[in-house]
Amino acid sequence: MIPEELRLTPAAKDGLFDLLSRAVLGCLLLFALFPIYWMVLTSFRTRTEITAADPQLLPFALEEIPAIVRDPALLLEILHYENYITMWGRFPVLDYFINSLIIATTTTAFALVVGCLGGYAFSKYGFPGKGAVGGALLATQMIPGILILLPMYLLFLWVQTTLEIPMIDTYHGIIFVYTTFTVPVAIWMLRGFFDTIPDSVEEAARVDGCSRLQALVRVILPMAAPGIAATGMFVFLVAFNEVLFASILASGDVTPFAIGIQSFETQTTAYWGEMMAASTVATAPILLLFVIFQKPIVEGLTEGSVKQ
Amino acid sequence: MPHTTKQFRERLADVQLGDALPFYSRLSEEQRFAYKLLAPALAMMCLIHLLPIVWGTLISFMGVDSSYVQEWYRAPFVGVENYSYVLDPRTVVGGRFWFAIRQTVIFAVGSLVVTYVLGLTAALILNQKFTGRFVARTLLLLPWVAPVVVTLLIWRMMFQQQSGIINHVLLSIGLINEPIYWLIGDNTIWTLVLTHSWTQFPLVMIMLYAGLQGIPDQLYEAASIDGAGRWEKFRYITFPQLKPVSAVVVLLVMLWTMINFTAPFVLLGAQPPQAGQVGILYIYEFAFSNYQFGRGAAMSVVLFLIAMTMAMIYYKYLFDDDFAEGDR
Repeated sequence: MIPEELRLTPAAKDGLFDLLSRAVLGCLLLFALFPIYWMVLTSFRTRTEITAADPQLLPFALEEIPAIVRDPALLLEILHYENYITMWGRFPVLDYFINSLIIATTTTAFALVVGCLGGYAFSKYGFPGKGAVGGALLATQMIPGILILLPMYLLFLWVQTTLEIPMIDTYHGIIFVYTTFTVPVAIWMLRGFFDTIPDSVEEAARVDGCSRLQALVRVILPMAAPGIAATGMFVFLVAFNEVLFASILASGDVTPFAIGIQSFETQTTAYWGEMMAASTVATAPILLLFVIFQKPIVEGLTEGSVKQ
Repeated sequence: MPHTTKQFRERLADVQLGDALPFYSRLSEEQRFAYKLLAPALAMMCLIHLLPIVWGTLISFMGVDSSYVQEWYRAPFVGVENYSYVLDPRTVVGGRFWFAIRQTVIFAVGSLVVTYVLGLTAALILNQKFTGRFVARTLLLLPWVAPVVVTLLIWRMMFQQQSGIINHVLLSIGLINEPIYWLIGDNTIWTLVLTHSWTQFPLVMIMLYAGLQGIPDQLYEAASIDGAGRWEKFRYITFPQLKPVSAVVVLLVMLWTMINFTAPFVLLGAQPPQAGQVGILYIYEFAFSNYQFGRGAAMSVVLFLIAMTMAMIYYKYLFDDDFAEGDR
């Protein structure tokens, strides 16, 4: 046993424990943030710096810091912003971005409309088959996408040849697929947000002469706006990141960013600098939006799983 | 008189539907409204989820290959031949498919362990009171919020054998003697597990964190009076109280990892090594490289059944466990 004089007092134990948990937190933060830091740093480096035999972990040597503080213009010489200029010419990044924006925002708009209606029905009304429909909504999240993609590809081919409506490599084709994929999640998240609005709100609106639909559109939806924004951002991200369906159903002129960015690494050369510059451009607004909307997003995601 | 016209139209629609479906006429006005709200969602799901699944199962029994891609319906029914072909470990395809299934299980179980350990550690730390807690939580969520395609490519860059920073750091602190191939050969599956866990642990963290917040303080106070230390409190209060949330986390991470396509597809690049070809990636490569849709569909059904079976066994196990312990 440990001799009495070497035992830690409760206060010292607490202090040690706090220290330990701060250290673990530090390690976790380093693990979580280093790749993001590395993306930004790489985007500001030249080809030689990126492929150097001894890559530097910092953008500049520590001895240079006083000089940089005195003359911030030095940073422009140290950080090479060329990648942010050359990437647009070397790859059709702008097209990728525009395609992704068109696909993801339209998907978000459709999914929110369908999801708000469905989520409200789930939150406020009881109806026969509610349990079964809810179960089916969740079950859609567990189907391997490939099981749907194979027949979907055949269906799109058939529609193209028989009905002569172009489907493969079109905006409407991929948007249609994405909307359906995201609707179950949207319903599930929005249901949680509608649950927080008391039933009396609809009743009051109806006493004032609104129909049920008017009550939903004019009174309930504005109240649920933060939740709708959070759901919208989630749907947007899902659509933005999807690659399985996009790689088969959205190439050519409608290639989205998630597929296009991979072409920065060719058989012979990897344009890491440009790739990371484009990645930084894509990531920055998303992280910014998250920091602004994080409260409803985090609540919406944890709601269903924890309350169950 | 737009208002009365509208009311009239609504009534007419109700009457017609009521005549066609006796079921519908028995519903209250509220229930009808609920169905109307749900109608678009249900219609889309039937079209994109239900129909393709039935259809996919159907073509898994048909000889749909490159010659029948345009007219799949002319392909002959071959019974279970596709299944016996892809499940026969003696054929090249069958052997590789079983290998892919094995890799899928490693991928799912490995990711589950890593994300759960990381997520629980982070959640426990965030559940303490300290300054900067909110900032720490926000920062720890970023790996999950950043576009996953981007973060997977960052890891791909960092795992490069020659120029990658990971090999460089490991070499310079002396953990390894020569650069390791992370994205080729036997290491690939572990690289995949680590990277996927990095993208997913914040979700596990935030779910467990919400669970921790729901544990009543009285439990801890009572335990303190009884003289319980930190470990006892964790072992006998925190962990058992987290069980319902943990159950959901385990189920979701397992299922979502087994059907995850993005992580292997982006991380392993245009020519994924065989060791990294988990089930869904192998099916994709196989089905689309030579239009073997019938056999690809058969494999997809098998993958779906394996994922579902694992989920059900797990659920049954949970249920029995609860029963034995006599929790409520």
